[in-house]
Amino acid sequence: MIELINLTKDYGTVLAVNNLNLRVATGEIYGFIGPNGAGKTTTIRMMGGIIEPTSGKVIISGIDMKEDPLRAKKIIGFVPDRPFLYEKLTGMEFLKFIADIYEVETNIITPRAQELLEKFALTDWAHEIIEAYSHGMKQRLIIAAALMHDPRVLVIDEPMVGLDPAAVRMVKDMLKNLSRQNVTIFVSTHTLSIAEDLCDRIGVIHKGALLAQGSIAELNLAARTGNAGLEEVFLTLIREA
Amino acid sequence: MQSLLSVLLRPRLLSTLQGIKPGKKKGNRWRIFIFIFIGAVFWLGAFIIFFRILNYFQSVEGFGDILALRLLSMIVITFFTLLLFSNIINSLSHLYLSRDLSLLHSLPVPAKDIFISRWLVSAFDSSWMVILFSFPVFLSYGMIYQAGAGFYFLSFAGMVFLCLIAAAISSILVMLGAVILPAGKIRSLFIVLGVALAILLVLVLRIIRPEQLVNPQTFASVVIYLNSLQALDAAYLPTTWISDVVSAALKGDWKFSLFSIALSASFAFSLIFINESIAKASYFRGFSRAQTTAKRLFYPVTLGNYNWDALLNFLSPAAKAFAVKEIKTFFRDSTQWPQLFLICALIVIYLYNFSVLPLEKSPVNIIYLQNVFSFLNMGLAAFVLSAIAARFVFPAVSMESEAFWIIQAAPVSIKTFLWIKFFLYYIPLLIVSEILIIVSNLLLGVAPFIMALSIITIFCLVPAIVAMAIGLGARYPDFKSENPAMAATSFGGLLFMLCSFALIAAVIIIEAGPVYYTFMADVHGRNLSLMHVVRLIASFSFAFLLCIFAVFYPMHIGEKHLSKT
Repeated sequence: MIELINLTKDYGTVLAVNNLNLRVATGEIYGFIGPNGAGKTTTIRMMGGIIEPTSGKVIISGIDMKEDPLRAKKIIGFVPDRPFLYEKLTGMEFLKFIADIYEVETNIITPRAQELLEKFALTDWAHEIIEAYSHGMKQRLIIAAALMHDPRVLVIDEPMVGLDPAAVRMVKDMLKNLSRQNVTIFVSTHTLSIAEDLCDRIGVIHKGALLAQGSIAELNLAARTGNAGLEEVFLTLIREA
Repeated sequence: MQSLLSVLLRPRLLSTLQGIKPGKKKGNRWRIFIFIFIGAVFWLGAFIIFFRILNYFQSVEGFGDILALRLLSMIVITFFTLLLFSNIINSLSHLYLSRDLSLLHSLPVPAKDIFISRWLVSAFDSSWMVILFSFPVFLSYGMIYQAGAGFYFLSFAGMVFLCLIAAAISSILVMLGAVILPAGKIRSLFIVLGVALAILLVLVLRIIRPEQLVNPQTFASVVIYLNSLQALDAAYLPTTWISDVVSAALKGDWKFSLFSIALSASFAFSLIFINESIAKASYFRGFSRAQTTAKRLFYPVTLGNYNWDALLNFLSPAAKAFAVKEIKTFFRDSTQWPQLFLICALIVIYLYNFSVLPLEKSPVNIIYLQNVFSFLNMGLAAFVLSAIAARFVFPAVSMESEAFWIIQAAPVSIKTFLWIKFFLYYIPLLIVSEILIIVSNLLLGVAPFIMALSIITIFCLVPAIVAMAIGLGARYPDFKSENPAMAATSFGGLLFMLCSFALIAAVIIIEAGPVYYTFMADVHGRNLSLMHVVRLIASFSFAFLLCIFAVFYPMHIGEKHLSKT
C-alpha cells in the first residue's frame, strides 16, 4: 500500500508538488498522468526515497519513508525514467549487485537472475557489458533489476519508453500478473493508452496538484466528458485547470 | 550567414561563459577567486624558481649562456612532449568519444567542419595551460637577459606554433589509429598511451639522472653533460626551431629569430592542411567504426569454479556488492589505465632515486642527512598520496555518475555507501604508502626511531587523506560529467588538495620539533628531559587528533550534502 499525505516539494524557484494526497491499495495498479513538468517525476522520486519532500509524508506499506527510509526502500522496486546503469558491469553482474544490496538470499540469486534475464530476453547478453546494450535493452534490464528482490511495491516512471511492441506486451502482462500477486504498482506515464489498458485507477496531476483521480468512468464524471476515452478526459481536465 | 565553424564552436563558448558567470551558482565568485589564487601561486613559484636557476647559471663563468640555452631547449622539449600526450588524449575524446558527436554528425554539416571545430577545441584545451605556464619561464629569461618587447612577442608566437604543431601531429596519429584499430577498440589507444608514457618517463628521468645534482664532485660533469645534449638540437625538429626563435630573439638576432618563426609557422600550417586532407578522407570512417558496440579488452581468467570475488566473502553482502562493482568498474574503464601506469612508473622512479642518492659524497654528516631526508620523505610520500587520492579517490563519488539513483533508491544509507567507498580506497592506498615509506627508509638506512615514526605518521595520514577525498568528493560531486575523473581539477578537487597539503604540513610541523630533540638525544646518547617528553606526547597527540578530525568531519559534511542531493 502507498499513501502520500500532504506531500509538497518546493525547489525554491518552482513548486513542483503541491500538497498531494493519494492512496494506492495493496495489489492496485495506479496510473499517474500529467503534462510535461507537472510534477510526476518529482513525486515518484520522493516515493523512491531519492529526494526528500519539503513537507508531507510518503508511507510505503505502513513505513514512513522519512522515519525509516532503508526499511521502506527494501520493499520497493524502483524504475526511473532514464536507464542510467553501471555501464562497465555485465547484465548478470548488475543483477547480482542489486540482489546483494537488497540482501536477497545467496542461493536464489543466480537462478532468479537467470529467470529474469530469460523473461526479458536478455539471456544472450547476460555476460556483455551494459555499455554495449541498446536503450531498450537497458530499460528491460532495469525493470528486471527492480524485480530481483520480489518487491511488495513497484514504482515505475515511464515503463515503456524504448521498448519494442513485444516487450511492451510482456511488461504489461507482467505488471497485471504482479498486481494479482498483491504487489502495489504506481506507474507514471505519458502513454495514455497504456494507462487506460493497465491501471485500476488513474490520477491526473497538473502544476503539482492532483486534478482528479479514479477509474475512467469516475474521471469522465469529473471532467463531464460523458463516455469519452482517457485522452479526451485528460485534455479536458488540463484545459479547464 | 555566419560561418559554420563559428556556429559549431558556439555551444562550447556559451557553456564556458555560463560556467563562469558570477552569481549563476552559489559561491561561484569564491570558486573563481580560489582558482585564480592557486594558479597565481604556481605561476609565481615557477617564475621564482626559473629566475633563481638562470641567475645561478649566470654566475658559472664561461658556461652561463650555454647552460641557460640548454635549459631552454629542455624546457621546449618538455612542453612539446606534454602537449603531444595531452593532445592525443583530448583529440581522442573530442573527435571520437564525446556524447554530443552523434548529434553533430546528424546535422547537415560536412564532417570536415565538425573535425576542424573539434580539433580547435581539443587544441585549446590541451594547450592553454602550457602557454600560461610558459610565461614565467620566458619572463625570467627576458629579465635576466634584459630583452625587449620583441622577445616576448616572438616567444609567445613560438609557443602558439608549438601548440599547433603538437595538436596537428596528435590528431593525425589519432585519426590513423582510429582507421587501423579494429572497430570498438578505439579506447585501447588509452592503454597503448599509458604504457608508452610510463616507459618514456622512466627513460627520461634515468637519462637525466637528477640525483647527480646533489653530488658536488660531479657538477663539472653535469655541465659537460648538459652541454653535450646536442641531439636535442637536431635541425629537423620543430622544438629546435622554437628554441631558436627564443634564443635568437634573446640575443637580438632578429633575422634568425624571424626565419625560425617563419619555419615553424609554415610547418604548422602545412600540418593543419595535411590534417584537413586526412580528415576529409578518413575522419567520418573512423568515427563510424568507433560507434560499434564497445568490446571488452580482456575477459576474466577463471580457475574452474573459483572466482576472485570470493576473496571478499568476509564482507556483508551489500559491502561486497559495492566492492566488487567498484573494482570491476575501475579496471574495465580503460581511461583510468594510462594514469595507473604512470603512477606505477613514478613510484618506481621515486624508490630508485632513493637507492642512488650519493649521500656519502655530501659534505653534511651522513646520519643527520639520512634522517632529515627520511623525515622530509614522510611529507613527500604523503604529497604523492594526496596526488593519487585527488586523481582516483576524489572522483570516486562522481564516478557513480547518473547511475547514482541506484544508491539513492537502494536500502543502504549514504553514510554506509561513503564508508564502503572509504575502505575500498583506504586499504590499497595504505599498503602502497607504507611500502613506499618503508622501502625508501630502508634504502636510506635510517634510525629505528625515524622508521617507526614514519610508519605511524603515514598510518594516521592515509585515512585522513582518503576520508577528505571521499568527503569532499561527496560535498562537490559532479554526476553529470562526461568524464567524472576530471572532477580532480574542479573547485572541490583543488579544495581537497589545499586541505590535504595543509594537513600534511601541519602534521610535519607539529612533529618536527619533538622529533629533532629525540633524534639528537639518540645520536648523542642523552636522555630526554621531562619537558621534552611532555612536549613529545602533546605534539603527537595533537597530530593524531588532527588526523582523527580529518577522517570524520569531511565524511560528515559529504554525507550531509549527498543526503540532500
